[in-house]
Amino acid sequence: MSPGNSNHDLFENLRLELRRGSLILAVMASLQTEQYGYTLRKALTDHGMPIDEGTLYPLLRRLETQGLLVSEWREQDKRNKRFYRLSEDGKAIFKQLLAEWQSMNSSLNGIL
Amino acid sequence: MDILASYLRAVKRCLPRAQSDDIIKELSDELRSQMEEQQSALGRPFRDEETMAFFKQHGDPMTVARRYRQDHRSLSLGWELIGPELFPMYLILLSFNLTLTIAAVLVVSLMMHLPVKLDAFLVPVLAQIICLTVVFTILNLIRRKFPQPWYYPPAELAPMLPVSRWYSLVGLVMWATVAVWWLAVPHFPQLILGSGASHLKLAPTWHRFYVPMLLLLLASVSQRVLSLFHPTWTWVVPGMRTLINGASVPILYGLMFKSQTLVALADGIQTTPENQQLVENFNGLIRWGILGPWLWIYAGISAVVYAWYSVPHLRRLIHRIRGQVRSRVA
Repeated sequence: MSPGNSNHDLFENLRLELRRGSLILAVMASLQTEQYGYTLRKALTDHGMPIDEGTLYPLLRRLETQGLLVSEWREQDKRNKRFYRLSEDGKAIFKQLLAEWQSMNSSLNGIL
Repeated sequence: MDILASYLRAVKRCLPRAQSDDIIKELSDELRSQMEEQQSALGRPFRDEETMAFFKQHGDPMTVARRYRQDHRSLSLGWELIGPELFPMYLILLSFNLTLTIAAVLVVSLMMHLPVKLDAFLVPVLAQIICLTVVFTILNLIRRKFPQPWYYPPAELAPMLPVSRWYSLVGLVMWATVAVWWLAVPHFPQLILGSGASHLKLAPTWHRFYVPMLLLLLASVSQRVLSLFHPTWTWVVPGMRTLINGASVPILYGLMFKSQTLVALADGIQTTPENQQLVENFNGLIRWGILGPWLWIYAGISAVVYAWYSVPHLRRLIHRIRGQVRSRVA
């Protein structure tokens, strides 16, 4: 493997690691209003946070198992869709995470 | 949408059972929405290569299913032997094989009025565990070495997936070796009789099965050659293998259950009890070992599997013929 390739791989790994935490925050922020998977994914992409369905749906399931999201199957456009939104616990945790994010962000800005 | 249903069925097979229906319902809606969006942007339905690209981008069903599994169990001994994608399938097959092995040993022991002892189960059970673990370790190694594989595509997607040249080449080398060995056996009986060749010869019954088996082997070799040079002729693999494996079922059945002796004493060798025993041993070894029930069962199961994989090809063929007839009539 050439040094160029190895640097690229290293950057990709670090980028993914950096994104992983922020994705949870982005998903929770988007789910303050009810959405189903497809529209949520499109909304995230439109805001510059593209996420493939193979990552999004397992993440939604995990957040739901942790009690941060609630979901409900409903019919829309003649098709059954699963709508997600933040649960009460999710709203509280989201507030705390957001505060943490903002504090980290300002600290980082100071360091940088 | 048959293709989507086939893809989702393949994903479902690898999902945790308790959540599989729910996950598939949601995934189905997502994929349907994506397909509709892309097709409406194109202003026409997907072509074959676009359909394949769509599903390839989404991922191999095993990998897709793995993302939903929380447990991520795998088998490792310092390094990974069987990864989390293959581990659920390994467990299913291992439980199935072990149940079958234990039942077979039990039935044989009872039928032969032998005492049912733990020792009788130990070797077959260990052999099953070792063989299956080795096979899955090799499969895992191949998956890691060549990422993004579609080794087991859903049946409806298989017609759109060119046969890998590497896969055809490995099959060609393997079956060509077996065919050469089979061709050499009449001239060098020691290739099948080993050290017993000095006392034994192949009986006339053997020759009744020799040519049909040779034809099947040559057909197997031809199929690999065709797939190697025409990887896009995807119907060749399921079509020819259904015929080859299907034809080998009655031939192997005749060899095991209908034939008398496949091996006899060589000319000039005395008929002593030891030599008679040698003949019996070799007949048993060839009939129940080398060409035995395992090969028969394998041929039967794979004939059914390949027939299943042939159905989408037939459906596409019928669809194409109907289209041609309609356009001629119009």
